[in-house]
Amino acid sequence: MLGLLGKIFYETRWQSLLFGLGLAIVMSLLTALLPKVMGDIDQMFSKLPFIKPLITALLGVDPGDQLTATMSQAFLWVHPTVLTLIWAHELMFCTRTPAGEIDRGTIDFLLSLPISRWRVFLAETIAWLASGFVVIGLGFAGHLITSQFTQAEMRPPWMLTFYIMVNLLALYLAVGSVAFLASAMSDRRYRAIGVVFCLLLASFLLNFIAQFWNPLSDATSATSIAGPAQDHPFISWFSIVSYYRPAIIIRTGQFPMLDVGVLAGVAAISWSVAAAIFGRRNICTV
Amino acid sequence: MPIIHTAELTQSYGARKAIESVSLSVESGEILGFLGPNGAGKSTTIRILLGFLKAASGRATILDQDCWTQSATIKRDVGYVPGDVRLYPWLTASRAIKLASKVRGQDLRQNGLELCEIFALEPNLPARKMSRGNRQKLSLLLALAHRPRVLVLDEPTSGLDPIIQVALLDQLRQMSQQGHTVLFSSHTISEVETLCSRVAMIRRGKIVVDQSIESLRAKAPRVVRMQLKSEEVFRSIAWPNSLIQVKQDGVQVEATLVGPSIDFANWLVTQPIVDFSIIPPSLDALFRDYYELNGECEPIPGSSDETQVSEGAT
Repeated sequence: MLGLLGKIFYETRWQSLLFGLGLAIVMSLLTALLPKVMGDIDQMFSKLPFIKPLITALLGVDPGDQLTATMSQAFLWVHPTVLTLIWAHELMFCTRTPAGEIDRGTIDFLLSLPISRWRVFLAETIAWLASGFVVIGLGFAGHLITSQFTQAEMRPPWMLTFYIMVNLLALYLAVGSVAFLASAMSDRRYRAIGVVFCLLLASFLLNFIAQFWNPLSDATSATSIAGPAQDHPFISWFSIVSYYRPAIIIRTGQFPMLDVGVLAGVAAISWSVAAAIFGRRNICTV
Repeated sequence: MPIIHTAELTQSYGARKAIESVSLSVESGEILGFLGPNGAGKSTTIRILLGFLKAASGRATILDQDCWTQSATIKRDVGYVPGDVRLYPWLTASRAIKLASKVRGQDLRQNGLELCEIFALEPNLPARKMSRGNRQKLSLLLALAHRPRVLVLDEPTSGLDPIIQVALLDQLRQMSQQGHTVLFSSHTISEVETLCSRVAMIRRGKIVVDQSIESLRAKAPRVVRMQLKSEEVFRSIAWPNSLIQVKQDGVQVEATLVGPSIDFANWLVTQPIVDFSIIPPSLDALFRDYYELNGECEPIPGSSDETQVSEGAT
């Protein structure tokens, strides 16, 4: 197992480091710039009315007519660049095995070693989790350092930050596990990446459409923390991103138990099915 | 107890049957040549043995352990060279040895460096900069470094230069003498003939020949060239049944000899023949017959003893 982990870390070290540094830079810039941009958001809402549903879809909650500095901090955690970097990293990581290994034909070498498929899968998972901590950790570090030089509202209260990080980690687990599942079912890495990318896009669009599904839903979404089931119409239940809502955490100060539970459930089921499929499937490299 | 054993293995890719009722046994210390044209089912059989594919029916075992359920355990004692070697671009021989040592829990540096020397492989050259032959050597190094009890080699000499081919065959002979078992898949009949003690041939997913090289050689057609005293005597000679496809070109006659040479020699001394030569039997012609046969395969013409023909053959 250690040999295998060493091989995975060796192969992914630059990727993880670059994504981590990229995220640190982006989060640092957002921490510095968002309060300035968000100050004029009410003017932006009146000039470009489509912006508001987009931000609502990202935040998982209606920001109202003005975004406070605290809500700007929530926007930092759901900014498309931040999510894109994190997801791109895990899409690349979680489709390495088996789809990537089969695609480049190296699975023959890997599976000729006296190590079970289960252990191969477990090693990939451990490395993915570790790299996730590095990438998200570096991003958080970028935010933390820059926030010391910006207005006090942008400095994260520790407990709330911890809750947001747990919610983000749960989303990371869910998306990565779905990527593992797509990879386990595919012989081509680009196909597995494409499937998960489409799922994420559909998930975001579903969240966006949900804003228009029932106008009355906005009235309840502002304060509820029970989860999307009570905030949005039922269609957003199927959207994985609707279970990641830093704005709700910041606004209510409560731990998003249901959201984290749903994401962890999706992760556990997808990962287990992926492991079972990889353990039983035929490996053809020709 | 056979070291490698398959019983009635069948596998399909969609509607196409890749192999059908493949039964093979390789004993300890034996080198089995596994021959067959492209797409015949060699690699499918090997991939089942390595636990990459699950057979639709039948059973495969190595060292009496099931190749599907105990695949990881089996590989402690197995070295494998795939038919199409593809390696990580960053992999060098020394990194490969280090990785294999860690995963196998053995220090393979000594063996690895020796093999680097035998195969003339640069230890620090990454696979992305290697020629096809060098990648093949690296794959061989990984298969041999832990001195496995069983070697499964899928066309291991492809891409190797003749010197390294000889070195590899020598290495395999040595290992066989020490009790290691080898399944040697190849297209090249001549290397199988020089290396292997037994040959199994697969065609269209079925085993059509499985017997020793010696018995095959005995059945292989030999070409006989004779020089007559004059052109006219050709018609007066009562040609024996053991000579077939007799062709005359002036005083020269060429025929194919089937059956024991001694009977032919006894007959020959009584005939008006000035000179003759028998070209040593080659398995090439024999296997070409099998390769080129249309329809179902048939046993070798003239064979009478231990020829084993798979099910489905007539």
